[in-house]
Amino acid sequence: MRSLTAFRMVLHDRSSTAGALLGVVAIVFLVGQQLSVLFGLLNYMSVLVDHSGADAWIMSANLRNADAGNLVSARYMDRVMGLHEVEWVEPVLIGNGLFRTRDGSFESVRVVGTRRPRAAGGPWQFAQADEQVLLDLEAVTVDRLDLAKLGHPVLDQVTEIGGRRVRVGAVTEAVRAFQGTLVFASLDKVKEIARTPPGRYSAILVRFRADADHPTALARLRVLLPECSVFSSQELSRLTRYYYVVNTGIGGSFGFSTVIAVLIGVVIISLTMYTSVLSRSRDFAVMRAIGGRRRDIAVVVISEALIIAGVGLFVGFLLLTTLLNATGGSSIPSYFPAQIAPILAGGTLLVSLLGSLIALRVALRAEPASVFH
Amino acid sequence: MSTLRLVKIARDFSDGRQMRRVLFPTDLEFAAGGLTVLSGPSGSGKTTLLSIMGLVLRPSEGRLFLDALDVTGLADEEAASVRLRRYGFVFQQPMLIEGLSVMENIVLAYGVQGGRVRHDIRLKAEGLLRTLGLDGTAHMQPRLLSGGMKQRASIARALIKDPSILLCDEPTSALDAESGQAVMGILKRIALEEGRVVVVVSHDARVFPYADRLLKIENGAIVSETRESYTEGKKSK
Repeated sequence: MRSLTAFRMVLHDRSSTAGALLGVVAIVFLVGQQLSVLFGLLNYMSVLVDHSGADAWIMSANLRNADAGNLVSARYMDRVMGLHEVEWVEPVLIGNGLFRTRDGSFESVRVVGTRRPRAAGGPWQFAQADEQVLLDLEAVTVDRLDLAKLGHPVLDQVTEIGGRRVRVGAVTEAVRAFQGTLVFASLDKVKEIARTPPGRYSAILVRFRADADHPTALARLRVLLPECSVFSSQELSRLTRYYYVVNTGIGGSFGFSTVIAVLIGVVIISLTMYTSVLSRSRDFAVMRAIGGRRRDIAVVVISEALIIAGVGLFVGFLLLTTLLNATGGSSIPSYFPAQIAPILAGGTLLVSLLGSLIALRVALRAEPASVFH
Repeated sequence: MSTLRLVKIARDFSDGRQMRRVLFPTDLEFAAGGLTVLSGPSGSGKTTLLSIMGLVLRPSEGRLFLDALDVTGLADEEAASVRLRRYGFVFQQPMLIEGLSVMENIVLAYGVQGGRVRHDIRLKAEGLLRTLGLDGTAHMQPRLLSGGMKQRASIARALIKDPSILLCDEPTSALDAESGQAVMGILKRIALEEGRVVVVVSHDARVFPYADRLLKIENGAIVSETRESYTEGKKSK
């Protein structure tokens, strides 16, 4: 009956309910949207590592992130292949170059070279053609989301990167990086573009055998290559994300805007629920007079907050899902991990309850004696 | 049969600077089976006395007994539970909760502490509505009722738990003469036929003919008590 009373009050006080709902929806939508952009950017930060298909990355010593390594010697590959835990070893070479667009202007791109035929560390999803094009020495990929920036290149269009002739062989689908426009090519082509010394690579990727114990294999690699940094892909991904979050101010910026969104929501919820309960003071006094205890009044107010939070969560997540679907194929980075949804829901529920505390205080102050005046 | 006994009950209020006595030590006893009208001018202390009797206001002095139980110093939660079990209230304004239907308002006492309202309770509420001339209003919103109907609905709410004590604060002041007479007639019948303690606070002389006992209070003290019965407005000893 107390929950029913709360439900009826929520239905009856439409303007207050709408206001409090707005607060809850604002929290879910704004925080959810902020988080989706943050996670989208986090994905971009470690995109090459996360999609490499490798279990371990060997890079230069004292590495702080996957993009800031010095070149490592190709001779390490033979030493690594000697370990029985290793299934394959592949080099990756990353450099920068200027992409010549159709109108003759230039756009800075990050070229990633992979060795044929495995193309480990290469592109993983395509809008047009596929990774087979990288078997061609001159072929490069461009991303669908970068087409406008690169002057709308079409398949088989010949152009230049870093003054070297390349041919657009495939269009990747949402393969983007935090550090810049990604263009994939063969290892030899990137050597030409980046003009790197022979026999040196940005990283060496390692895949362990299926039956290998990964921690043991990683430990053996570290012993084998003390002059290098050896990371599991997960470790390097985490390290890279942490580096950018801390050093670019992204963490602080997103944290701040998230706190602001939560504060706005809490203020809206607090004010509207306070107003609603204040106008209901007489009703709560009546309930107290006819035998309601303070805790019964608390149950009614908290039930009101929970009902509003529940509906607000539904509407907020509906709007958020619509937004994520709309921005999914766009250039706006957005990714919302499924496991974040219950955390956001729980947090919003908690914040909604916090927002109802002032209202609860007012409701609990309703004196039964006041009904006799 | 319940009795409510006040022993040297007094009440002080602070106006922020000094304490002011609004109810002087009062001894009273209310037994079941009669309608008592407590009358007096505004500010005379009658509502204060009613609030103390209804366990919604603590006296500054004296003891209050419900049957043999001393209920003067009950904790807040205990007092609420005693009110729920033993008391019914009719207020000056009907004070039905907007948003709840008439039926939900009436059965609220059964659910206010979290209990489930059973079907037989709803049937009982419907019976009360019929008795009070409110047939067909169970699922209506209170705002759709007239003032008199609302007050009768509030009487149904007060009676739903068969309280042994019914306290009414100016129940006719917001009603027209006809509705006021109907409400007083109902209260009189409840007092006599159902054997409850019914106390009505009013300064409206039109309710006096319904009183079995008329208490007059002035400046915080009972100044007169008349035990008479009235029939159709004519006084008879």
